[in-house]
Amino acid sequence: MTPKIENRVLAAPVVVFLLAMLGFPVLIDIIYSFSEVSFETLRSPKLNYGENFYKVVNDPGFWSASWFSLKFGVLTALAECILGLLLAVYLTPIIKKNNWMIAILIMPMIIAPVMMGLMYRLVFHEFVGSLPHYLYLLFGNSPGFLTRENIFLTLFTIETLQWTPFAFLLFYMAYQAIPGEMREAAAVDGTRPWRMFWFIEIPQMAPTIVAAFFIRFIDGFRVFDNIYVLAGPGPGGASTSLSIYIYETFFSLRDIGKALAASVILFCAAFLILFFVSRFLRRNKS
Amino acid sequence: MGTIELRNVNKSFGSVDVIKDVSLVANEGEFVVFVGPSGCGKSTLLRLIAGLENTSSGSVHIDSKDVTELEPYHRNLSMVFQSYALYPHMSVYGNIAFALKTARVPQPEVDRKVREAAETLKLTPYLNRKPRELSGGQRQRVAIGRAIVRKPKGFLFDEPLSNLDAALRTQTRLEIATLHKTLGSTIIYVTHDQIEAMTLADKIVVLKDGQVMQIGSPKNLYAEPRNTFVAQFIGSPKMNLLTDGTYEGDTMRYHEDVTINTLEVNGNPCILGIRPEDISFCDPNGADLKASVVYNEFHGADNNVFVKVPGLGDLNVRASGKLDLKVGQNIGLTLDKQQIHYFDADGNRVSK
Amino acid sequence: MKINYSNILRWLVFIVAVLVMNFPVISTISASLKTAAEISQSPSLLVHEPTLQNYFSIFEVSERLNIFAYLQNSLIASLIGSILPILLCFPLAYAVARRGYGTNLIFPTIVNLRAMPLIIFAIPLYMMYQTIGLLDTSLGLGLILVVVNLPLALLLLVNAINDVPYELDESARMDGARIFTILIKVVLPICLPTLATVFIFSFITAWNEFLFGLMLTTTNAMPMTVGASFFFSSGGGGIQWGVAAAVIIVASLPPVVLGVLMYKHISRPMIAGAVKG
Repeated sequence: MTPKIENRVLAAPVVVFLLAMLGFPVLIDIIYSFSEVSFETLRSPKLNYGENFYKVVNDPGFWSASWFSLKFGVLTALAECILGLLLAVYLTPIIKKNNWMIAILIMPMIIAPVMMGLMYRLVFHEFVGSLPHYLYLLFGNSPGFLTRENIFLTLFTIETLQWTPFAFLLFYMAYQAIPGEMREAAAVDGTRPWRMFWFIEIPQMAPTIVAAFFIRFIDGFRVFDNIYVLAGPGPGGASTSLSIYIYETFFSLRDIGKALAASVILFCAAFLILFFVSRFLRRNKS
Repeated sequence: MGTIELRNVNKSFGSVDVIKDVSLVANEGEFVVFVGPSGCGKSTLLRLIAGLENTSSGSVHIDSKDVTELEPYHRNLSMVFQSYALYPHMSVYGNIAFALKTARVPQPEVDRKVREAAETLKLTPYLNRKPRELSGGQRQRVAIGRAIVRKPKGFLFDEPLSNLDAALRTQTRLEIATLHKTLGSTIIYVTHDQIEAMTLADKIVVLKDGQVMQIGSPKNLYAEPRNTFVAQFIGSPKMNLLTDGTYEGDTMRYHEDVTINTLEVNGNPCILGIRPEDISFCDPNGADLKASVVYNEFHGADNNVFVKVPGLGDLNVRASGKLDLKVGQNIGLTLDKQQIHYFDADGNRVSK
Repeated sequence: MKINYSNILRWLVFIVAVLVMNFPVISTISASLKTAAEISQSPSLLVHEPTLQNYFSIFEVSERLNIFAYLQNSLIASLIGSILPILLCFPLAYAVARRGYGTNLIFPTIVNLRAMPLIIFAIPLYMMYQTIGLLDTSLGLGLILVVVNLPLALLLLVNAINDVPYELDESARMDGARIFTILIKVVLPICLPTLATVFIFSFITAWNEFLFGLMLTTTNAMPMTVGASFFFSSGGGGIQWGVAAAVIIVASLPPVVLGVLMYKHISRPMIAGAVKG
């Protein structure tokens, strides 16, 4: 076997697998998004050209769901990174001597998001939940967590609390990776802690910070699990993220073509963003 | 059995020519050393012989058979890598047995051959240990054991001593030389250390920038270097080169009217070469050259003396360790006329 | 003994952070230990009459909750979703690491898959599975979990193989080994630690998956995550909060135990996924 053929053989398992698992779905996505099809007529879609896309683009629900996901993604990523960074930097001295602290701190993110959502359902319950109970004791009043006004804040808080450990872990590792000599050189030059942090340590961790933000944004954007079990689409669609929108359109409204059209739009948007971000990163590296 | 030949071999990586038209022969049972500075292509040449790289043009022959297109295994050569490349997850036994098992040799025979090789290299007590539990010298012996167990036509060594400390190096050098006598196989050995080359080789190939500078026995290279590169590469301390001279039949004239008596030669040399041990000290009056001592390195048995000769520059002289020399001292130099080497403006040897 | 005041403050911050972030977990554990009577009376975190009855109730297999089935389904799907990525990716990782094959197209495509919202494939996958009969099977679920874990597996394996000295490959070649012998007998054993890390991280990710479990299974292959959530949708008779809390705890245990024991192993995938991705 020549090296070239060898390479193809080595790559074959993954490539064949992905083509089978994702290749067909992509084709189906494209074909069906341009067709009128229901659960009964699954095998025989009727082409209706851009009608589904038209429906999606003209659906205010689609745009509010997209806006929700965007807001959610950016805000949670921001909050998680800031909190994670502060925790990592502030707690480093005691964590260095007590490594087991990391295990406890990352526990929230090991739990399935859906489980977290269910736990919060318990916590928020007006009769059985512990949170309203203690808020009554402390403040005499407890807000409606899942009302239309509060639900975004509630979901934002849940997500942030669960995933801050992720940012924390990343930043802790990056903070450790800063060469000790760099800090020593700056210290000898008389650099005070605040300047050291802002002008030396942060720049060193910059790639990690960007990466953490990016990853958390992606995960926040496509959030589904915890919202679904806690509130579903929510009062007046107030908690409909883009993923929930697509799910509801498919399973509840049973409008397959429309759901797929929305999926295709999402795919293209994600692909384009990734493409430009990769180009940007590659240009910055060289 | 075991003749290795390269014919007009060229190798390029992209637009960079790494090996330029190299031809050489390693005869059966010969210990051939490829030597040269870093980047001269000696390791690449070795890998071409092994089959780990393909030639860009030219051919490789083993026992008159053209092996240029053959995979490493089919060339029936063994290689000892610079970092030994021992499989860290296998024991010493496993490392040595690997090649035999790959060839599906039956287990009893594998066992016999592995123990035989281990015995030769005094590795038997370590057969069950993993490489990380061994010392550098022991690991090296395992690497050699792995090589000899296949009974190949020839051995290829890629700078095997560079990872050892000085004391171990001398001892292992002796072991390799003894191994050669015991096995009698063809060995091709790569090193940047000319002392290793001189002490181990039957034949030395000096390389520079991918080209062969000279091929010959150690004595040959030492006594008759074909060009200034070989002249200065072989032998330590380096040969003195007196450049910028004008040849006048039986003398070489340098700046400030300094002259050196020479023999008659065929050609027009402008560089004289003389080895430090071929210069002796004498009284300044009546000497060939007048010099002053710049610095003296005391080596115990020898003194390595740096002197300055007006009109010629700095020279290196080897003198007895019993001599007492002071910096700035004026001294005379006598040159052994028979040992003067002559080179032309291109650095090539001019014959007598 | 010198008291370090700034460190005391740090410890406080640590404790507060842990308590706040894990508040729902603590609540749930406390609820799971309460009798049905106590739950309706006292929603505080303190348990006056702790009981393990709720946990025992779970294991009485009922129509509403067949925990053994759910756990088994999760186990099978998660094992498929964590072992198969390694088997599929290892050969390709070798080609990428050693020969730079696919660095222009295949490798970036697979790694960037991580950033794709996979829900876009869920619907057509549903239809595909329905046609070929993979709907509501642990195998079907496991296969899509493989796709979820592929990108990180490939990234980590490429890094691991890059750390294996190339001279070992060449030495094996001189010893007569062909590509697959080199892969399996030389490179793979040295990469075992990374394989373990990838497996653990993939297993946790696969176990925690919800969306695909929700969409691609109904009765036979329902994983623990979906089963637990269905237990919450009250189907007549109201929710027994104590039992529900116990269900959540039991469902969350496997990944938590694995993660806490192996936290050193899963920090590396996080870093790699972040900085290189």
